[in-house]
Amino acid sequence: MAILLIAEHDNARLKAATLNTLTAAAKIGGDIHVLVAGSGCGPAADAAARLAGVAKVLVADAAHYGDQLAENLAALVVATAQAGGYSHVLAAASSQGKNFMPRVAALLDVAQVSDIVAVESADTFVRPIYAGNILATVKSADAVKVITVRPTGFDAAGEGGSAPVEALAAGPDLGISKVVSRELTVSARPELGAAKVVVSGGRGLGSGENYHKLLEPLADKLGAALGASRAAVDAGFVPNDYQVGQTGKIVAPQLYIAVGISGAIQHLAGMKESKVIVAINKDPEAPIFQVADYGLVADLFTAIPELTAAL
Amino acid sequence: MSNYAAPIRDMQFVMKELAGLDRVAALPGYEEASPDLVDAILEEAGKFAGGVLAPLNFSGDQEGSRWQDGAVTTPAGFKDAYQQFVDNGWPALACDPEYGGQGLPRLVSMVVREMWKASNMAFSLCPMLTQGAIEALALAGSDELKQTFLPNMVSGHWTGTMNLTEPGAGSDLAAVRSRAEPQADGTYKIFGQKIFITWGEHDVAENIVHLVLARTPTAPAGVKGISLFVVPKFMVNADGGLGERNDAWCASIEHKLGIHASPTAVMVFGDHGGATGYLVGEENRGLEYMFIMMNEARIAVGLEGVAISDRAYQQALAYAKDRIQGKDMRVRGGGDVPIIRHPDVRRMLMMMKSQIEAMRALAYVVASALDHAHASPDANDRARNQAFSDLMIPVVKGWCTENANDITSLGVQVHGGMGFIEETGAAQHYRDARITAIYEGTTGIQALDLIGRKIARENGATVKAVIAEMSALDAKLAAQEGADFATIRKALAEGVAAVSACVDFILANFAKEAALVAAGSVPFLKLMGVVSGGWQMARAALAADALLKEGSGDPAFYRAKIATSRFYADHVMPQAAGLARTMLEGGESVLALEEAQF
Amino acid sequence: MKILVPVKRVIDYNVRPRVKADGSAVDLANVKMAMNPFDEIAVEEAMRLKEAGIATEVVVVSCGLPACQETLRTALALGADRAILVETDVELQPLAVAKLLKALAVQEAPQLVILGKQAIDDDSSQTGQMLAALMGWPQAVFASKVTVVDGKAKVAREVDGGTETLEVSLPAVVTTDLRLNEPRYATLPNIMKAKKKPLVTVKPADLGVDVAPRLATLKVAEPAKRKAGAMVADVAALVDKLKNEAKVI
Repeated sequence: MAILLIAEHDNARLKAATLNTLTAAAKIGGDIHVLVAGSGCGPAADAAARLAGVAKVLVADAAHYGDQLAENLAALVVATAQAGGYSHVLAAASSQGKNFMPRVAALLDVAQVSDIVAVESADTFVRPIYAGNILATVKSADAVKVITVRPTGFDAAGEGGSAPVEALAAGPDLGISKVVSRELTVSARPELGAAKVVVSGGRGLGSGENYHKLLEPLADKLGAALGASRAAVDAGFVPNDYQVGQTGKIVAPQLYIAVGISGAIQHLAGMKESKVIVAINKDPEAPIFQVADYGLVADLFTAIPELTAAL
Repeated sequence: MSNYAAPIRDMQFVMKELAGLDRVAALPGYEEASPDLVDAILEEAGKFAGGVLAPLNFSGDQEGSRWQDGAVTTPAGFKDAYQQFVDNGWPALACDPEYGGQGLPRLVSMVVREMWKASNMAFSLCPMLTQGAIEALALAGSDELKQTFLPNMVSGHWTGTMNLTEPGAGSDLAAVRSRAEPQADGTYKIFGQKIFITWGEHDVAENIVHLVLARTPTAPAGVKGISLFVVPKFMVNADGGLGERNDAWCASIEHKLGIHASPTAVMVFGDHGGATGYLVGEENRGLEYMFIMMNEARIAVGLEGVAISDRAYQQALAYAKDRIQGKDMRVRGGGDVPIIRHPDVRRMLMMMKSQIEAMRALAYVVASALDHAHASPDANDRARNQAFSDLMIPVVKGWCTENANDITSLGVQVHGGMGFIEETGAAQHYRDARITAIYEGTTGIQALDLIGRKIARENGATVKAVIAEMSALDAKLAAQEGADFATIRKALAEGVAAVSACVDFILANFAKEAALVAAGSVPFLKLMGVVSGGWQMARAALAADALLKEGSGDPAFYRAKIATSRFYADHVMPQAAGLARTMLEGGESVLALEEAQF
Repeated sequence: MKILVPVKRVIDYNVRPRVKADGSAVDLANVKMAMNPFDEIAVEEAMRLKEAGIATEVVVVSCGLPACQETLRTALALGADRAILVETDVELQPLAVAKLLKALAVQEAPQLVILGKQAIDDDSSQTGQMLAALMGWPQAVFASKVTVVDGKAKVAREVDGGTETLEVSLPAVVTTDLRLNEPRYATLPNIMKAKKKPLVTVKPADLGVDVAPRLATLKVAEPAKRKAGAMVADVAALVDKLKNEAKVI
């Protein structure tokens, strides 16, 4: 039994989610081979080789993998999976993994198990459904298990390995899609999905200006990523990629500070796995307090500067 | 602030099991109203009410409509919402297809209107008044008037108003003083001041069609000298486009207890040479037309009582499930629980729920009767249904709106201290509900109509037929098993006996001692409401039980229906005996004091 | 060009799902059902393309129980031209649905298939991608903006950390993200017309598709509830707790 794990990376470095996916793979058991497909992705492949528990790294380095297009990537993964006789194909349930993995499953004529948060056995997994309101334990009857892994469900794997790196012949460039442009939010802050501390703001902040004025200094002090409730996004305070919740990012940091967020179910679905939750809201009835470890009923316009100063 | 989810399941149950949707759909002209279409309409109307109208209810109340220099600005979002309401074709639902309407039955319209009223009562008044104006024009207007005004009113591009009340003419419209002077071209010049004109001026539509009561120079004094006129805000050109501004102006809007978003205008006609008006129907018959139209307006306001009560209930229920406070009396050493676990909170919620369901049932049953009264191919059937709805309309209007005051008050009470705080939103429903028992005829006026015109004048023929129908349910209830049905049966029997005794009293005394009977008329109206509601809840329990036995549908809903009917029998029906006693014995003490003794 | 819009009937998003007493499945009996919200966005996008003169016909498809007809009628009331119900009482998983849709895509030859990025019941987020793979078509998933020019679709899509714009040749599959558009409300005339629009029913066997499930659900359960913690009096107390009790700062 061998597992093919598709690394997520930016050619230079591995994305954090790859480390969590590796832990999930280790729980399934068997040799773990990491596929790094990219353009000039040698450094990322070397990083994969250093991870503990990796038996082999496969590198497909070609220009047409540079943009991680689902069509080309899926074709490569399918060919690699079939050639290697893998029992499992894993990737992170990130926007990238969600993009290409179902193609892999369909081309292999197998089901995909999406977004697993626990491994029960080599063919049985736990995954959230209904926005995390329910956990389903599912068993796959397919010969190959195609799985996406929710990063917050597993710890990050560490370094300490020295796996061999093997070059792989590139597959074809299907040429049916191309990336025209990317507008990524440039931020010195940690990535929202991977941050250890998240400071999130809601409609209680009143405006985008207040959001930045109050929360950025606090996030700076804590080395935190910034997030927001859907209400704050809908009100135009911050762009959509700040959104934490059922329809945004699912996060599970060590510390989650919810500021002026009432705690709609959709928001709770995105952050309730956080280790410690702090809620600051002037409404003592706000549902967020029902999931918070520490609740502070206060006017956030005075409490947040005070908190920032106290840290 | 609260959400609104249309109670579609109960609405469907009442329509299908109690109000006979299938029989309405079998009437000529209503063939479209098949169950699946009606379900789809309810579903989509519910989405619109919950998604577009309900979110503006609280902000609309806070902001209110504002008047400046004769123009009225409605609260943020109202204009867009109204535009969407029109674009989506909702105003035309029950209107005549000849003028662009969809021709759906009143029963369907009633249910959809409940949603508008519950989601945003202040907003809903605009289409409601337009509907009234459409009906009056359709009833008595010339073809030319209808062609000029109805298509744009049916589509909702123009709204309508009812200009009845004057500073000196409220409940007694015989005192109307506004003047209408005939012109050589067949039009009239209207002069006078009207007050309490709902949506009399606003910014949500391009034209406003005022229907105005006024006297011509030759008119006899009193109610037989009042004529009805159409006075548009903007004149309509021959090509149908809008022309000059008419001499009809909004002098101010009222500062009210509730429905703040609904502009209540003081209208001044003819301050600048006379407002051009067109006679509707014949001279001096204005009040007669108004009363035909008003019958339907009154049931609509009764429905408003149902709707605002339901909104208050939904909000109280959500709070009661959410708010953690105190321990469960039945659990030793347990933790804090949501307040819905406390017996008295449950009692309050059940009082709200059971009465809302009873009121809704009665209102829809009357709407269905109106459909039969209008569209039945059989003249006897039409007459019977007309008589039934004539009798019941003051009951629906008076009882549902008086109850709405109590129910929205309970809604505040469920919230405890938070209910008294405006931000919570429960207080708004309480304030908004208050007007429903006043406009379109106060409860006192409804009660007089009930005992006089609807009972004494026809020697109780219709009410006796209704009593017989209620009594006929006894055998069916007797055939049921279990304590629930035994209780429901006993309560209904006692209630019917109470109504029957009071009807005998009215018939025996109205002619010789009208004041004595009138002194107890409001308690009697409430008695009629309580017992008619109990009658419908008993029918509902029987229908639910039959469906349970049949094994179709949602058993939890049906069981809840039976339990709710039982609650109504235990907690509401006992009022009947007290109300009857008040009417039978309490008239003299009402009249006992000299004015100086007060 | 023709657009195919698959729509799924799911528990209404306002309803909190409950697990059956035996933990075997989510209890769907007498629960309010509605169109998957992401699919509403898909219908809306198709309608906008039609209103812009780019699409000529919008065909909606739903796979599942006869009650899916209601969902199709809802889509027709939003303006879709006709509907296809693939009727089966077998539990349908994304791969099976993708195969059914492939069979219909071959028959109908749409230039675009637009569907929700995921269904809010099983949250799989697979069907669109699988259909694209089976057809050998390009895909643009999690779309926040769609433009169609010269036989190609330009699609802005939501990715981790921002937006990426793809250009895909047609035919293609697009899946919708939340911010693509705000779905309209059905108009009363369209609700009434929807009743009379064509709706055909086919069976999986008619399409030659084996829909047997590949995944078995062994059990479902509600996750452990998070307990409410303590309220703190002020900022100083909060900092103290975070430092000394939770030890997270």
